[in-house]
Amino acid sequence: MTATQTATVLPAPASTPRRNFWRGVVRVLRRKPSRMAGVVILVLFAFLGVFGPMLYPSPLPRDDNALYAPPSLAHPFGTDFEGTDVLALVVTGTRYVLLAGLATAVITVALGTAIGLLAGFHRGRWDTVLMRLTDLQLTIPGLPLLLVLSTVWKFTSPLEMGVVLGVLGWGGIARAVRSQTLSLRERGFIEAARGLGLSTRHIVGRELLPSMAPYIAMNMLIAVTGAIYAQVGLFFLGVLPFDANNWGVMLNLAVFGGGALTSAAALPYLLAPLLAILLLTLGIVLVVDAMDEIFNPRLREE
Amino acid sequence: MKTVVRRLAGHLARGAAMIWVVTTISFVIIRTIPGDPVRAQYEKLIEQGMAPDQAERATAALYGFLPKGSLWDQYVGYLNGLIHLDLGQSLSTPGTPVATLIGSAAKWTILPVLGGTLLSFLLGVTLGVYAAIKRSGRLGDALAISGSLLHGVPQYVIGLLVMAVFTTLWPILPAGGPVDIMYDPGFNAPYIVSLVEHATLPVLTYALAGYGGWILAMKSSVATVLGDDFILAAELRGLRRGILFRYLARNAILPLFTILALSLGMLFGGAIFIETIFNYPGLGLLLVNSIGARDYALMGGTFLVITVAVVVANIAADLLYAVIDPRVRTGGAA
Repeated sequence: MTATQTATVLPAPASTPRRNFWRGVVRVLRRKPSRMAGVVILVLFAFLGVFGPMLYPSPLPRDDNALYAPPSLAHPFGTDFEGTDVLALVVTGTRYVLLAGLATAVITVALGTAIGLLAGFHRGRWDTVLMRLTDLQLTIPGLPLLLVLSTVWKFTSPLEMGVVLGVLGWGGIARAVRSQTLSLRERGFIEAARGLGLSTRHIVGRELLPSMAPYIAMNMLIAVTGAIYAQVGLFFLGVLPFDANNWGVMLNLAVFGGGALTSAAALPYLLAPLLAILLLTLGIVLVVDAMDEIFNPRLREE
Repeated sequence: MKTVVRRLAGHLARGAAMIWVVTTISFVIIRTIPGDPVRAQYEKLIEQGMAPDQAERATAALYGFLPKGSLWDQYVGYLNGLIHLDLGQSLSTPGTPVATLIGSAAKWTILPVLGGTLLSFLLGVTLGVYAAIKRSGRLGDALAISGSLLHGVPQYVIGLLVMAVFTTLWPILPAGGPVDIMYDPGFNAPYIVSLVEHATLPVLTYALAGYGGWILAMKSSVATVLGDDFILAAELRGLRRGILFRYLARNAILPLFTILALSLGMLFGGAIFIETIFNYPGLGLLLVNSIGARDYALMGGTFLVITVAVVVANIAADLLYAVIDPRVRTGGAA
């Protein structure tokens, strides 16, 4: 069968497939400039997340003479109710948003992959129990649950927020990984690996996971977007204390406190965090699109 | 028929398990809230000069469980109250049972959610077929991109943008509330016009938020069915386009019903944002306000009712699926 062929071909110089991979990435990115834009957007946000708070003095300067100032050269998005520059608020808020998103992604992927693999690989009783659990996790309305949890949990640190969102959000990945595992384990190369007497650890770690990695990575990016929406949304609803620096706090103050909706001049205060969310989403969607094509050769249009 | 009954029984068992998990979560949270609101209420009543057993009863009526006794007794008491459909009393509007508040809020959630879902479903499914058939054309591409964008954006962003456009930049619709209070409720024209005007923006937001998902799902489903042999056979037999379309649509729409089931749960999450933005007095706003007012009995009750609604929607969608897809009904393929 083909399994013996792959076994002999694989140990060939490891650098060639690597280089081909990167060449493929560049080609995919080049063909649609929008994908390049996606990468640029994500790099920009990562930069803001790491260095953003260092660009501004802490606490942010207030200008009592310019409350709700309209956009100007000094304040591209105007100022808020205390005269703080809105752009500075968005930039310094990036860190919490991204950090919580990353923490969520790591936890959802770790939990989801482990549970999905366990269920799909062992099947039988484990499978039934784990999938019931997954169904339960998926059907409990998540946002209401988060709201109820917010009465006992204050989510002041982004990592705490990420952990809670992650523990409540692994179901989708678990189900997807399970179905991938179920279909992969019937394939020739897994059968061959089992026929060779390789250990389960080897089969899972060296054969199954690498072929699922791109799939999991894409799910991770999607999990990041979900986490960003959920945390910004929670702060927006105003059920969490406002001492955290988050775009959602800005949204809440703009809508319910600031009356950004009563006059068109104050709209930039509301629009700035919305634009940040939209831009970040756009970046992630474009990168997912690129990854889809890089890892799924069948989608490639030659 | 037998399989349908068995499926239904399985669903009911799973739904009951889920409701039990949710009530347990509510109970644990109400018990672990810093400051122990149940205990505090009990002690407040004692301070006001109430006799201990009377205070105990009053507190139990409020929260649905007793402030004294072992945790297990409290838990059993709480579940017992729920089984008798007693959700306790609201703190923020004293003297009103939680169930009454939820009942009056439910209609403000259900009607806009259903209206918006129906609208986005019809629009998304129709345009999804078009996007799949013309997927290499420019319009098909544009439809798919509009779907991805709207699907990727959270509901509150859509809601806030809709609000900014239609109430601030181009103020043609009311900004919040369910109806203008100056009209007499009842079946008269100004009242109904006001109702519709106030409902327009929430329904529009639900529709826009749902549209993306439907168009994407329908597009990929139609693309799969288009590759099936029976479509080729139908084409070769020279069937009319209308019949061809019916073959296509009937098969392509099936997987969407499972998504419908899951999306209903999501919609209740979305309702929280949309109702908060438009100050619409549905279940979502009730939940948010109950947390703001530290009205924990109301919070637990609303959370429970939202969960029950999701469970019921799931079961309904699954039964609907069995009616539509004969393969599931006979239990052959499922």
